[in-house]
Amino acid sequence: MIEYTTTRHNPGVDPILHLWGWEIPLYLFLGGLVAGLMILSGYHILRSRWDRDQAQGHYVTAPLLSLALLSAGMLTLFLDLEHKLQVWRLYLTFRPASPMSWGSWILLFVYPALVASALLTLAASLPRLRQRLPVLARVSESLAGHNGAVHLIGFANVVLGAMLGIYTGVLLSALGARPLWNSALLGPLFLFSGLSTGAATLHLLSHLTPRAGEGSPGFSDALASVMVNWLRPPSAQDGSRKLEQADNSFLTIELALLALFFGGLMTSTLAHQTGARLLLTGPWAAPFWVFVVGSGILLPLLLQFLQAQRRIQSTWVPALLVLGGGLALRFILVGAGQASHWSVALP
Amino acid sequence: MNAPFFKYGLFGDEISLVVAFAIGIGFGFFLERAGFGRARLLAAQFYFRDLRVLKVMFTAIITAMVGLFFLSRLGLVDLSLVYLTPTFVLPQAIGGLILGVGFVVGGYCPGTSCVSAATGRIDGMVYLAGMIGGLLGFAEIYPRIEHLVKATPMGQVTLAQQFNLPYGLLVFAVVLMAVGAFIAAEWAERKIGGKVPDTDSLLAPARPLAPVRRFAIVLVSLGLVAAFAGNPFRGAFARVDTKQLALDAGTKSDHVSVTQLADWIIEGRSDFVLVDVREPAEFASYHIPGARNVPLAELTPDFVARNERIVVCSEGGIHAAQAWFLLRSLGFPAVYLLFGGLEEWKDTVLYPAAPPASAPARDHIEFAKRAAVAKYFGGAPQTGGAPMPASTPALPRLTPPVPAAAPAGVPGAKPKKKKEGC
Repeated sequence: MIEYTTTRHNPGVDPILHLWGWEIPLYLFLGGLVAGLMILSGYHILRSRWDRDQAQGHYVTAPLLSLALLSAGMLTLFLDLEHKLQVWRLYLTFRPASPMSWGSWILLFVYPALVASALLTLAASLPRLRQRLPVLARVSESLAGHNGAVHLIGFANVVLGAMLGIYTGVLLSALGARPLWNSALLGPLFLFSGLSTGAATLHLLSHLTPRAGEGSPGFSDALASVMVNWLRPPSAQDGSRKLEQADNSFLTIELALLALFFGGLMTSTLAHQTGARLLLTGPWAAPFWVFVVGSGILLPLLLQFLQAQRRIQSTWVPALLVLGGGLALRFILVGAGQASHWSVALP
Repeated sequence: MNAPFFKYGLFGDEISLVVAFAIGIGFGFFLERAGFGRARLLAAQFYFRDLRVLKVMFTAIITAMVGLFFLSRLGLVDLSLVYLTPTFVLPQAIGGLILGVGFVVGGYCPGTSCVSAATGRIDGMVYLAGMIGGLLGFAEIYPRIEHLVKATPMGQVTLAQQFNLPYGLLVFAVVLMAVGAFIAAEWAERKIGGKVPDTDSLLAPARPLAPVRRFAIVLVSLGLVAAFAGNPFRGAFARVDTKQLALDAGTKSDHVSVTQLADWIIEGRSDFVLVDVREPAEFASYHIPGARNVPLAELTPDFVARNERIVVCSEGGIHAAQAWFLLRSLGFPAVYLLFGGLEEWKDTVLYPAAPPASAPARDHIEFAKRAAVAKYFGGAPQTGGAPMPASTPALPRLTPPVPAAAPAGVPGAKPKKKKEGC
C-alpha cells in the first residue's frame, strides 16, 4: 500500500482510490470466515460437556482450518504492504484510534486462542499426531481436564472472534475519505456475514464426508489425519440441521443489516446517497444484487428453508452459495467504496 | 410507464441484469419443480406416456393470451408495443425441425437442459455444452447462410392479422384448442401410454367439479367473453394528453446528447432507431452513420414499429423538436431528441476542441476519449490549442461507410442481432 494522507494530495486517491486490489477483499473474507468459525467453535466448547461430546461434529476441525485460513489471510495482508520489511514496527506501539493497530494486536491474540482450542480438540482432530508427539497429548489432556481452562478457551474464542469479525468492517468504515464506507454498520454487517460463511464452511465439511464404511484412511501424515476426521460419519444429521438453522438466522440478520446500511446512507448527504447508488443501481448493481443478495442470501435462505421442511434433499449447494456471496460482498464493497467520492460531481 | 420497461428506460443495463437473474431463477425453479429437469419425463410425451409438458406449455400460452387480451382491453397494456418476432417461414420450419429432432434425441429443449445441468445431471451438462458449441458454429457460418435465414419473410404478423379475424375470436379458438388438447392428451395417456389417470383428472374426476374442470370452465368462459369484447388494440390516434406532453417537454428526460449517441453507435446497440428529418439532399451530403432519412412530411403512424425507441435529429434542433411533438401525438411513446442536432454533432463528436493546457487532468483524459471517437466517425480532433480554422472543416465523405473503416479493437462495431429464444 502506498502512503497517502486523508488530505488527498495524491493521484492514487483522486478521483478514484486505486490502493486495494484483490488482496484486501480476500483478507476481509478470510478474516470474517475465521471469526465466524471461532465464534461457532467457541460457543460449541462453552455449551458442550467437553469430556463426553468432544468428538462431535466438525467443530473439532474448525480451529485447525481457521489457523490455515487465517495464515492465508495474513499472507494476503503482507502482500499488500508496501514496506514489507517494516511490518514488525506495528507491534512496537498501540494506537487506540487506529483500526490497523487494533487489527494487528487482535490478530496477535487470535493465534494463541486458536492454537489453544486446536490443542483442546487434538485428540479428535489429529489422532496420529497425538501418538507421535506424546507431549502434545499430555498438554491436550491436562487442558481438557481443567474445566476452567476449557471455559476460558471457549470464551476467548468467542470474544476474539467477535472482535476480529467487527474489526474487518471497522477497517473500512474508519476511512472517512470514502462516503460508501462511512457507516458504523459495516462492522456488524461483516461480523454476521462472517458468521454465515463460517456456518456454511462447517456445513460444507459435513457434506464432504462420505457415509460410514465408504473408505478408510490411507494416509499417514498429519494433513491426512485431518482427513481421517472428515471421513468419519457425521455424528448426526441433527448437527447439520442446527447449522442450517443458524445459517438462516445469520443470513436474515445480514439482510436486515444490509437494508439498514443502505437506509442509513440513503437518508444521509448526497455524497452518501451517490455512494449507495453505486451498488443499488450503478455499475456494481448487477454483481451486488445477483451475487450478494440473490445467490448469496435469498437463494440459500430459500433452499435451506426447503431443506429444513424436507421438501428437497439436503445438499452442499447453499453452503457454496453463501461462501460465494460472502466473497462477493467483500470484493464489491471494497471496489465500490474506492470509487465513491465526496465530490459527487465526479463520475 | 408502459412496457417494455427496459427499452423505455425504466431501468438501465445494470438493473436489467438483475431482472434477468430474478426471472431466470424463477423460471428455472418452476421448471425444476414441474419435473422438467428429467429427460425421461420430457421424452415420455413423444410416446404419449406422459403429456405433462404439452399441458404445462399450453396452459402457459392460454393464460398469457387471455391475460394479455383482458389487460389490454382494460387499458393496462398497450399490445401494439409488445415485441413480436418476425416470421420467416422456411428458416423457422427448418429450425423447428432441428429443435424437434434434438429434443427427441437428447430429451431436452434448451430451457430444460439448463435446468437439468443446474440440478447436476451429466446428460444435461453435455446437452448444454453441445448447445453452446452449436451457437458458436452458427455464429461462424452465419455470413454464408444469411440469405437462408432471411428467406421468405412475412414481417411481424399475428394470426389475427393474417386471417383477418377478430382478435378475441382467435383467443377463444386457441382456448378451445388447448382444452381439446388437454382432453386428447389425457385420452392418449390412458389408451396408448397405459397411464392410470390422476384422482382429479379432467376426464375422470372423483368429484363432479374438480379444480381442473373449474379451471377449464373459467378459461372457456373468459375466451367466450373475449370473442365478443372487441379489439384490444388502441387506435393509432390515441387521445393526446397535452398536459403530459408539456410536462415531458419541460424535463430534459427526452434528450439524448451527441456523445451518448456516439457511444451507442460504437457499442453497436440496436435498440433504437435514429431518424434524420432533414431533406433528402441534405441527408445525402452528410448524415450520422445508421440514420434513416424520414422528412417531416413522411412521418406516418406506421413508419416504424410503435415500440421502437426513436431518436430524432435535424440540423439545429427546431425541426427535430417539431418531429418529436408530431411523433408523440401519433402515439409513439418513446421519442428522444438529439440535443443540439447535427451542429452539436459536428462540434463535439467530429471536431472536438482540445482543452487548454492548464485544464485539469480529467478534461485531458476526456478529450483523449473524444478524439478516439472522432476518428471512429471520420472526423478530426482540433488539438494543440491551435486556433480553430476560419472555415468549417470539410465533412467526412460518406463512402466508404464508416463502420467498414472501424478501427480494430472497438468492441461491438458490428450491429448486434436481436436475440430471442425458448
